[in-house]
Amino acid sequence: MPPHSVPDTRSETPAIPAELERPQLLEMYRYLRLTRVLEERLVALYRQSKVIGGLFRSLGQEGESVASAYALERGRHRDILSPLIRNLGSMLVMGARPIEILRQYMAKAEGPTGGRELNVHFNDLEKGYLGQISHLGDMVPVMAGITLTFKMRGEPRVGLVYVGDGATSTGSFHEGLNFAAVQRCPLVVIAEYNHWAYSTPPEKQFAVKDLADKAKGYGVHAVTVDGNDVLAVYAATRYAVERARRGKGVHFIEVKTYRRKGHAEHDDQSYQPKDEIERWAVENDPVDRYVKQLVANGWAEESELAEIDQAAKDEIDQATDACVNDPLPQPETALPGVYAHPPAAERLWFRGL
Amino acid sequence: MARVDVLMPQMGESIAEGTLSKWLKKLGDDVKRDEPLFEISTDKVDAEIPAPTAGTLVEIKVQEGQTVPVQTLVAVLETEKGAAASAPAPAAAPPAPKAEPAQAAKPAPAAPVPAAAVTAPVPRPLSPVPQSSSVPPKGDGAETAEERLRRRSTPLVRKIASEHQLDISQISGTGFAGRVTKQDILGFIERAPAAAAAPTPGTRPPAPGVEHPAVEAWPGDRVEPWSKIRRITADHMIMSRRVSAHVASFFEIDYTKVALLRARFKAAYAERGVNLTYLAFIAKACAANMRKHPVINAAVSGDSTIYRRDVNIGIAVALDWGLIVPVVKHADELSLLGLARAINDLGERARTKRLSPDDIQRGTFTITNPGGFGPYAGIPIINQPQVAILGVGTIEKRPKVVTQDGSDAIAIRTMGMLTMSYDHRVVDGADADRYLADVKAMLQDFPEQEM
Amino acid sequence: MAEVTFLEALRQGLSEEMERDERVFMLGEDIGAYGGAFKVTDGFQKKFGAARVIDTPISEAAIVGAAAGAAHMGMRPVAEMQFIDFISCAYDMLTNYVATARYRAGLATPIVVRGPCGGYVRGGPFHSQNPEAAFLHTPGLKIVYPATARDAKGLIKASIRDDDPVLYLEHKWLYRRIKENLPEGEEILTPIGQARIAREGKDLSIITYGATVWKALEAADQLAQDGPSVEVLDLRTLLPLDDDAIVTTVKKTGKVLIVHEDTRTGGLAGEITARINERAFEWLDGPIMRVTAHDVPLPYAPTLEDYVLPQTEDIVKAARWLAKY
Repeated sequence: MPPHSVPDTRSETPAIPAELERPQLLEMYRYLRLTRVLEERLVALYRQSKVIGGLFRSLGQEGESVASAYALERGRHRDILSPLIRNLGSMLVMGARPIEILRQYMAKAEGPTGGRELNVHFNDLEKGYLGQISHLGDMVPVMAGITLTFKMRGEPRVGLVYVGDGATSTGSFHEGLNFAAVQRCPLVVIAEYNHWAYSTPPEKQFAVKDLADKAKGYGVHAVTVDGNDVLAVYAATRYAVERARRGKGVHFIEVKTYRRKGHAEHDDQSYQPKDEIERWAVENDPVDRYVKQLVANGWAEESELAEIDQAAKDEIDQATDACVNDPLPQPETALPGVYAHPPAAERLWFRGL
Repeated sequence: MARVDVLMPQMGESIAEGTLSKWLKKLGDDVKRDEPLFEISTDKVDAEIPAPTAGTLVEIKVQEGQTVPVQTLVAVLETEKGAAASAPAPAAAPPAPKAEPAQAAKPAPAAPVPAAAVTAPVPRPLSPVPQSSSVPPKGDGAETAEERLRRRSTPLVRKIASEHQLDISQISGTGFAGRVTKQDILGFIERAPAAAAAPTPGTRPPAPGVEHPAVEAWPGDRVEPWSKIRRITADHMIMSRRVSAHVASFFEIDYTKVALLRARFKAAYAERGVNLTYLAFIAKACAANMRKHPVINAAVSGDSTIYRRDVNIGIAVALDWGLIVPVVKHADELSLLGLARAINDLGERARTKRLSPDDIQRGTFTITNPGGFGPYAGIPIINQPQVAILGVGTIEKRPKVVTQDGSDAIAIRTMGMLTMSYDHRVVDGADADRYLADVKAMLQDFPEQEM
Repeated sequence: MAEVTFLEALRQGLSEEMERDERVFMLGEDIGAYGGAFKVTDGFQKKFGAARVIDTPISEAAIVGAAAGAAHMGMRPVAEMQFIDFISCAYDMLTNYVATARYRAGLATPIVVRGPCGGYVRGGPFHSQNPEAAFLHTPGLKIVYPATARDAKGLIKASIRDDDPVLYLEHKWLYRRIKENLPEGEEILTPIGQARIAREGKDLSIITYGATVWKALEAADQLAQDGPSVEVLDLRTLLPLDDDAIVTTVKKTGKVLIVHEDTRTGGLAGEITARINERAFEWLDGPIMRVTAHDVPLPYAPTLEDYVLPQTEDIVKAARWLAKY
C-alpha cells in the first residue's frame, strides 16, 4: 500500500509527505505552471498560424504528468519515460526545454527533429524521454524493450510509459504489457483515465470500471489513484518505481483525471457535457488544488508562488521571442537521414529539370 | 516602428476558410500580446484569435460577417519594437540545384562495338504477340502494332539505325511480324559497309563506287581501319566535290552590335534555360533572309532545280567519333530564343547520342561553326543534296577603320569572317553575294526587337 | 572447406555474430528451449544462455517493438517471425515505428527481423508467403533475400552488423536442399545492396532472387543446347536495389526476363521494369517480360500450388519467346 501522509500534530506545519522537501514542492509547482503557460502560448501561436498541424492540450491533466515524472531518477543515463501528447509536463520535468518544444511545434529548421515530426514527438534518450509515434499503444512494446536492456545489463534503471484510456484498447498495448510482465521488465505504466478518447467515452471503450482491473489480467501490480492530487500521484509512482528498481517487475498505476479541452484545438468538444467540463474546472483543477494544499499547510507562501508564475511567463516569452521568427527547413533537407547508409535518398530526376 | 500582419488562421487540417464573426477591438485601439483581437467561426470550431504582439490596430482588412480563405490578411498592427516579422519567416530560397542530377535517362557514352555477326536461330512459327503486347498501336489506328513494329522496331535497333543513318524499313527482319532485330541490323551493317546509307528521301544520296586508293604502310606506322561513320563521311566528301561546282565567297562581319546584345541578354536567356551563342544570331540572320533568296535553299536533281518549301537549317556538330549534322526544322519560323534553344538541344542530344533519324534528315542549308579555336576563315564542302554551306570564322576583336562625321579613325570592333561555299551550277556569284549582303546587314545592325 | 546446407550456413552466421558481439541477442517464439520451428537456433540457448535467446509470447508486434527499444539502447537484436507470414501482425511496428525512427527522431534502430518464407512446400496460404512487396515502399528499411548457402551466411552477418533495420527473408524450400562448400576460418560477408551474376550469358538476362534463382539456372542449362545464351542476375538485396548491376546486364543482352515467386500484381518485377525503362530504354531489344506467381492466394493441393507458382519450364518457354522477339 502506498504510504499516506500522517499529519504531525506536534508542530504547526504538517510534515511533507512522501519524503519530499520544500524546494521539491516548489520545483513541482514550477513545472506545473510552466506546462500550463507554455500550452497557452502554443494555443495563441496556433491561432496565429505559427504552430502548424495539430495542438493537443493537457489542461486538467498537468498534475499527473508532472508528479509521475518527478518520481523518477532524473539526470543523464538514468530513468527513461515515454510521453504521449498530453504529457508535456513530464518532458519538461525530464529536461526538455520550452524553446525546443516551441521550435518543434512551429516546424522550425532548428527544432529537435528538423521539422520532420510534429507535436512533442521528439526524444533525448540521454536526458530520459522517448517521444511517441501516433499509433497509440506502440510505445509499450518499445519501452518493454528498453527496460529489458536495463535488466540484461543489470542496471538499476526504470522505465515509465504513459497510455490513455483509449490506448488500452490497442493490440500493441496488450502485447507490450504482456511481454513486459512475462519478462519482469522494470516498467511502470501510467494509465491516464481522462474520460475521453477523442469523442469516445469510457463505456464505449472498455467493459471494466477501472483500468487497474485490466492490468490484473496481466498479473501485474495495479492501483488506482486520484490523478488530480499531485502528491498522491507522486507517492504512488515513487512507490512503484522503487519496487520496479528492486526487480519486482511491471507496475500499473491508473490515474483518474479529466480532459478539459477537446481532443485537439480544432475540436469543439460538443460531445462533452459543458457542465461536466465546468465542474472539473471549478472543483477539481490539479494546479488549484496543489496551490491550496501548499498554502494551507504552510509549505509555500503565496508570494513565492506568484514569483514562480511570473518567472514562468518570462521564460516562455523569452523562449518564444528567441525562435518565433526562425526559418523553416530548406526543402532539400528532406532527403538525408533515411538510412545510416546510404546517407540520403535520391533526388528524383524531375527535380533537376 | 514595425508593421505586423495578422492572418486568418487554419484551425484543423481540412479547414480552408474562416468567417470573421466579431471584431473585439476597433481601429486605433492598443492591444497587449495574446489579447483577443477578433472572433472567427469555421466548420469545426469557433475561436477567439489573439494578437501576435503588443501594438496598435492600424488596419482592418476583413469585416464582420466576411468569409475569407485561410492565411488571408485580416489586420495590421503597428508595434513599438522594430523588426517584428510580418508573417512566419518563409523558407530561405532553395539552393541552386546541386551538381548531382538524378539518374535519369543518361545512357553511357560509348556505343557498343557491333558484335561479330550472330547466326540467328532458324525462325520457327512465331506465337502471336500476347494480349498485353507492349507495342500498342498509336493514333488513328490505321497502322497496326505489327506494322509499326516492322517500321520502328525497338529502342536499341532504332539507336543503331540512327547512328548509321539506316532506314529500318529497308532492312529485312527475322523477328516478330518481320521485325528487324539487333542481330538483323548488326548483320546488315557488317555485310554492306559501302552501301550504308539507304537512298530514301531526305537522307544523303549514296556514294556508289567511291574508291580510296591504297597506300603503303611503313614499319612503325599505325594502321586504323575506318569506323562506319568515318567511311560514310569520307565517301560523302569526295562525292560532294565531284558533283557540285564549288565556289566560295568571303564576307567580313562586324559583330559588335551582336556582342553587345549578347552580353545584355545572356543572363535573361540563361534564366530560361538557353545558352545564347553567336551561332544563334548567325542562324537567325540566315533563316530570316532565306525566303528572299530561294535559290540558296534549293537542290539540284538531274537537270532541274528543286526549290524547297521549308527552311531547315542543319548545324554541323563535331563529335569525338565523327561529324553529324542535326537539323533545325522550320528555322525561319522560330524566334531567336527558339532557335538558340533548338541549337542547344540538338547539340546536347548529338553529344549524348540521342538523336533520332528524323533529326538528321531533310536539311536545306547547313552552317558549320568550328568555334573559338577555329580558323580565320575556311572553305567548307557542301552537304549534299544542298547547294550552299556557311562556314563561320573565328570571332574576335580586331582593328577596323570607322568613319565618324567625315573623319576616319581606327576602332576596336568584334569581327569575324563568313565563308559560303555554293554550287555554281545553279547559284551564281551575284545570288550568293546578294544573300550574304543581306545576312551581313542584319548581323551588323541586329534588330533589338528580335531579342 | 566443409559442405553445409543453407540452414546450417545461416545458423553458423548467427552463431558467429552472437560470439563476436555480446550486444547481439535473439528473441522469438520457440527459439530457445525448442531450438526453433525449423531448428535454426538449435543449441543456442544452451550455448548463449536464456538471457540472450529469449522465448517470447505469441506477440509479433511486441517482439518487433521490444527489439526496437533494445536497439535504441545499443543492443543488436535479431527478432524471429516463426513463419514470415506472421510479419503482417507486426506491420505497424516495423513500418511506422522502426523504419521511420532514424529519419524522424535520429534514433538508430539496428534490428534484424528474420523468418522462413516461400512456397513449393504444400504449406498453403499462411506458411508460404513472400512478403517483400508489402515492405518495399518503406523508406528506412532494408530487405535481403539470399539464394545460396554462402549468401545465407554472408547476409545474416552483414544484416546484424548493418546500422539500419533489415528484413531478412530465408526461403524454407532452400533450407535443406541447397548445399555448398564454404571455407572455414574465413569471415564470410555479403555486401548489402550488391547483386551477383549467378551465370554469365549474352542473349538474354534473367533478373531474379530467392528460390527462383535455382529454377532460372536450370532453365539456362536447358536453353544452352539450342536456345539463347542466358545470363542470370541474383539480386540478393531487394531494398535498396542494385540499379547498376541491373542496368549493366540489360545493356549487355538487350532482353530482360524478371522472375519471382511472389504474385504478379504489385510484385518487385514492376519496380525493376520501371527502373530499366528510366535508365536503359535505348538498350532494349524487346519488351521487359516477367514470370511470376498468379494473382491468387497460394493454394495447398500439389497440383494447384504447382500451377500457381512459376516453374523451370515456364522460365524456359518465356525465355525462348523473348529471345525470338
